[in-house]
Amino acid sequence: MESALDLFGSQSALRPAGQGALEIFDLTVAMVVVFGVVFAGVMALVWVAWRRDRPAGDWWVWSGGVVLPLVAILALMAGSTAVLVASTRPAPEAMVVEVTGHQFWWDIVYDPEGVALRDANELVLPRGRPVTLRLASADVIHSFWVPSISGKADMIPGRVNTLTVTANEAGRFRGQCAEFCGLSHPRMAFEVVVLEPAAFDRWLAEVQGEATDAARPDLVDGREIFVEYGCPACHEVRGVAEGGRLGPDLTRVGARGSLGAGMWRMNQGNLAGWIADVGDMKPGAKMPSYNQLSGPELRAVSAWLASLR
Amino acid sequence: MTRRAEYGAAILLTAAAVAAMAWAAVRPGERLFAPVVDWTGAALGEVTGRFGGGNAQDRPDPDVSSQDVFGGDADRGAGLMVAHGCGACHTIPGVAGARGSVGPHLSGFADRAYVAGILPNEPGGLVRWLVDPPAHSPQTAMPDLGVTEAEARDMATYLYTLRGG
Repeated sequence: MESALDLFGSQSALRPAGQGALEIFDLTVAMVVVFGVVFAGVMALVWVAWRRDRPAGDWWVWSGGVVLPLVAILALMAGSTAVLVASTRPAPEAMVVEVTGHQFWWDIVYDPEGVALRDANELVLPRGRPVTLRLASADVIHSFWVPSISGKADMIPGRVNTLTVTANEAGRFRGQCAEFCGLSHPRMAFEVVVLEPAAFDRWLAEVQGEATDAARPDLVDGREIFVEYGCPACHEVRGVAEGGRLGPDLTRVGARGSLGAGMWRMNQGNLAGWIADVGDMKPGAKMPSYNQLSGPELRAVSAWLASLR
Repeated sequence: MTRRAEYGAAILLTAAAVAAMAWAAVRPGERLFAPVVDWTGAALGEVTGRFGGGNAQDRPDPDVSSQDVFGGDADRGAGLMVAHGCGACHTIPGVAGARGSVGPHLSGFADRAYVAGILPNEPGGLVRWLVDPPAHSPQTAMPDLGVTEAEARDMATYLYTLRGG
């Protein structure tokens, strides 16, 4: 499987673009330096010990064997605990986003107590503002991980974990499920799109309504086929068919950067191939393949979906 | 082991530790050994190119003049096929991620007689097909993906490099 990294931005804990990732990166560098110094010192002492004839006294054993490791490890533990506590504490003024893991996609609800905007497989964040993620799972254990933005947090059925993230850089970053969750676990990715704060506010206001272009006259056949073949049983398109929650919300599917949870570029060609043969593109996905659609029907429904924004 | 060998081992380990620390402290993105790596890569490319290596198997040279496409660029065509999502339906050798089996595999495409069983497999027919498939075959599942004629020329150039699949 070709990597989608070059298509979908950065996925590297060594290229931090968020507050949590930066803290973890600094902690990693500090650990490498401290442990490196300790290691070099021990090697130097080994050299000294070899040159001496008599065995070392108790003082060396106690200070070098017990006190020094204890102090060093406790200091590093304090540092890493501080990073962990800071990243999991909900920020009181932060916007809440609910992210729920499914086999093998991500359900996303912005501000669940307020506008409750539902979307999927693409997380949009404002630059420089803390956002509290409420992480849950609908089936098995998943793990939410955007290495460039923050540390990872498990999504455990029956439990809600919180993770507060602050993105420091606008751009596109790739996230990936980090806990084996089934056949298509490696194909359960997503994109994080970090917008400037003003652009984020505009975006949030714009996408709350019904799907634009959902009733374009030249694409109306596609919408009818979508309804006729029962797609709304699982997929919601606001303004066309509401209530389907088993699969990703498709209200703005055509505006996403990727298809199939961060795996392919979003375009009509990939959409048509996906509908006709899901099992091939994402083994184990719950959506059945719709190759019972005739050629013209497949063309119409994929053109309509690609137009939804 | 002699005392000397033991000193040697200790010094080597220390040197390795210091080297590892130095390497870890280099910020990612800084290419410390870029000149060496680039020079080696270029030299290797020179050698493999001279002895006919490279990815000749993926992209053999088009040698049939009737399939020369005017103004087409095969590399650009391969990139365009990723951008238009062709690989979701077609398996195309040498195109990133193109492993689909919704439509025909396109290995050995240059040797086919017809495009989609409808148009003659020569540049004009292939370009017309890629620009608007339903116009030639109303029942086809292959959508009109908004491919321009220039893009279709690039893709056709690439497809005519696929022989004997």
